[in-house]
Amino acid sequence: MKYVLSRLFYSILVLWIVGTILFFMFRLMPGSPLAAFIDQTTTLEQQQALIARFGLDKSLFEQYLIFIQNVLQGDLGQSFFHRRPVTDVVMEALPNTVILTMSGLVVAYVFGVLAGAYLAWRRGTTVEGIGIPLALATRAAPEFWLGMVLLAFFSFHLGWFPAGGANTVGLSYDSEWERIFTLDYLRHLALPVLTLAIYLQGLPLLLMRSNMIEILQEEFVTMGKMKGLSSRTIVLNHAARNAMLPVATAFALGVGSAIGGNVVVETIFSWPGIGRLLVNAVSASDYPLAQGAFLIITAVLIAMNFIADMTYHLLDPRIRLAASN
Amino acid sequence: MSITRRKFLSTSASGALVASLAGLPKVALAQATTPVRALTLYSRAQAANPQQYQAAELIAQVWSDLGLDVTVSGLPQNQLSDVVWYNRDSWDVTMWQMVGRPERSDPDEFVMNLFHSQNIEVGYNFVGYNNPEYDRVAEAQRLEMDREARKALIYQAQEIINQDQPYLFLVYPTKSYAFDKTVFDAATMVNQPGLGIKNFLSFTNVQPLGDQKDLIMNTANELNAINPYYISGAGDSWMTELIWDRIMRIGEDGLPKPSGAESVTWNDEGTLATITMREGMTFHDGEPVRVEDLMFSLQSPQQAGVAPMYKPFVDPIVALEKIDDRTFTLELAQPNAAFETSTLAKLNIIPEHIWGPLLANLSEGESAEAVLEESRVGSGPFKFNRWNQSEVVLDAVADHFAAPKVERLIMRVVLNVEAALGMLRSGELNFLTDYTGDPQLLIDAAAADGDIEVVDVTDIGFQYLAFNCRRAPFDDPAFRRALSFAVNRRLITGAAYNGFGRPANSHVSPALPFWYDAATEEVPMGMDVVTAMLEDAGYSIVDGALHYPAGVSEQY
Repeated sequence: MKYVLSRLFYSILVLWIVGTILFFMFRLMPGSPLAAFIDQTTTLEQQQALIARFGLDKSLFEQYLIFIQNVLQGDLGQSFFHRRPVTDVVMEALPNTVILTMSGLVVAYVFGVLAGAYLAWRRGTTVEGIGIPLALATRAAPEFWLGMVLLAFFSFHLGWFPAGGANTVGLSYDSEWERIFTLDYLRHLALPVLTLAIYLQGLPLLLMRSNMIEILQEEFVTMGKMKGLSSRTIVLNHAARNAMLPVATAFALGVGSAIGGNVVVETIFSWPGIGRLLVNAVSASDYPLAQGAFLIITAVLIAMNFIADMTYHLLDPRIRLAASN
Repeated sequence: MSITRRKFLSTSASGALVASLAGLPKVALAQATTPVRALTLYSRAQAANPQQYQAAELIAQVWSDLGLDVTVSGLPQNQLSDVVWYNRDSWDVTMWQMVGRPERSDPDEFVMNLFHSQNIEVGYNFVGYNNPEYDRVAEAQRLEMDREARKALIYQAQEIINQDQPYLFLVYPTKSYAFDKTVFDAATMVNQPGLGIKNFLSFTNVQPLGDQKDLIMNTANELNAINPYYISGAGDSWMTELIWDRIMRIGEDGLPKPSGAESVTWNDEGTLATITMREGMTFHDGEPVRVEDLMFSLQSPQQAGVAPMYKPFVDPIVALEKIDDRTFTLELAQPNAAFETSTLAKLNIIPEHIWGPLLANLSEGESAEAVLEESRVGSGPFKFNRWNQSEVVLDAVADHFAAPKVERLIMRVVLNVEAALGMLRSGELNFLTDYTGDPQLLIDAAAADGDIEVVDVTDIGFQYLAFNCRRAPFDDPAFRRALSFAVNRRLITGAAYNGFGRPANSHVSPALPFWYDAATEEVPMGMDVVTAMLEDAGYSIVDGALHYPAGVSEQY
């Protein structure tokens, strides 16, 4: 319990530090939020009115105090451009991003873990000779290139999948749930998930493989063989469970980083997610939206880190023991 | 089309120029001269606007052959705006652009705003061009109600700018649009000068040929808001233009025509308009459109802080008076030739019964821009249905006076330009309204597909290089002329814009044929001319560096 509380305390501390850095970083960045309005016939008075409305006429420290006070009350402010609460804007995009990210990660990690274990087991064979370079090549291929190739082949050439968006043009749904649980949504999701999964599978695959190779040389594996257990039982029930520990951490951290890092996939497939929102917010100096979105991503990342710590506990009794001592 | 950068450099000014530099005086040694400082030429970052950056590099190359030390610096849009727009004394030369909009089909906005000295501090005249003679002509054209007489003044304004060259105009870009001609009857698309087929008339006129009754267009940018008091972005503007009616609309010939009004008539002085509204208009919630709504739409932005973006357009109005249930008068302090285009064809007809209470409840410091009126009730040919991060859906209003032939208009957000092209071919889009990719790709795709028709149009807007006229040596018109004419526009159009554009030398585009002065095309060409210009103005080359005339120095 003490361990959990201390992890929680550190998580909150990190969140506060990140929030503070975000706040000052965006305000010290060159470029003014007014820049996006200059193509209008704005007069000096109008510019000043805008500055006052955005609260930019107050001192930086004063703005910071207001920011912290609002965040504590769960208020991330109002987007300069959407003229709506940041929470609303972010929450509208978040489900799509979470679904894309989680699907991509699950596909990548399931494939990566199985393929990694298999390649470790088949060490020194032709399968490994082909598998490893292939995994490395796809891992190294730029995401946008991969996305464009998949788009060109599966969408433009074969016409199997739509070229963009999350739902077919013009279709309406009564609720968000109804929209998401349709075949149409899955068809739109397929290519972005495939791109993301191909891009992400390298890490779990290589991690799993190297862990497995190490573990397969351990005494308990030899013991298993001596006991006459089948290869399948040894690999899946004994070796894989141990080899998966670092992969579980990588997965948890991957969730956090992939939420913010989906900008490329979201742009290629016009996927209405948080990455797109973020790029626009930063380029338009929409401070509240940018810092709000980053703060939410950070919170997810920290939460995932926290969960990874806890999962480690469950997966490995030695850590549980060390912590309680 | 196939002019490469290498070829450009070998054939353009630069090669010939170096040879002829020998012709420049080698300095009157008796009097010391000072060199022109190293210059920075700003541009959008290469990745964001490759054509602009390429043009900047080509220009820098030509100028360096003239003895100038020029560095091209690519910046993100907001940083570039910060330097150029908000720190007006701090830069020398920058690449810039003016975009075409329906209300710019009257030359007044560019003629008045870009170069009038009243806009030097905060307005559009960010280059700091100050010429009282130009101010006089620009003001006179706004007051002149006789079209031919006004045309003469617009020509005169173009001549002055041609002489003074505060901008180095480069190109009026060609904009490409495409649609599926098996879905829509090509004969019903309306090609409006300067705007192409993406215009109000096309959206209401276009006739579907088969079962597909949805017009599905694209935008490459996210939408910020759909609010009749807020000009929040290009895609957003298209939605407001279709949901809310306007008193006038720009017609096929580029001139304003009554739309929500049945007639707009002016007194002889051009200061009093009598506006009779069209009969039988209704808002999308079923309420009738009343003359009070039209007056409210013109009045409400006049209040300070309500709609800052629309206020400048209603400021010239001094009085509004209701005559009867369909008629009101509108009085201006002085005649304004562009008023119909800039105001009556721009302001949305807003329902007073909805917005009156909303505006009355605005809190301190809040404007109508921040009000979220989710039903978005207008009286236009399309009714708001829904909007999410992927698309905006509008339904046709069958009993509108300009009732659309399509059933729905859907604007899809497609960020990836190649995907947009693929979607046009697969039928996920049927009207490509926002294409920023390589025009040749579009032409090739149309040829391969067979169902796609591409329509090109010369833009009302233009790409250019701006000289900061506040700072030496750009405060000298003779120097600007020489630098400007050293750059061959035709070759820039070919090398940087792949030939998809028209060489430019005026702030009035040939897309507005009535106002465009074709004489501005006859620019002095050839390096002997440029060197003679510099020589005449007293400039010289010393050890390969361009020097100011004797006795002139800079304080930077």
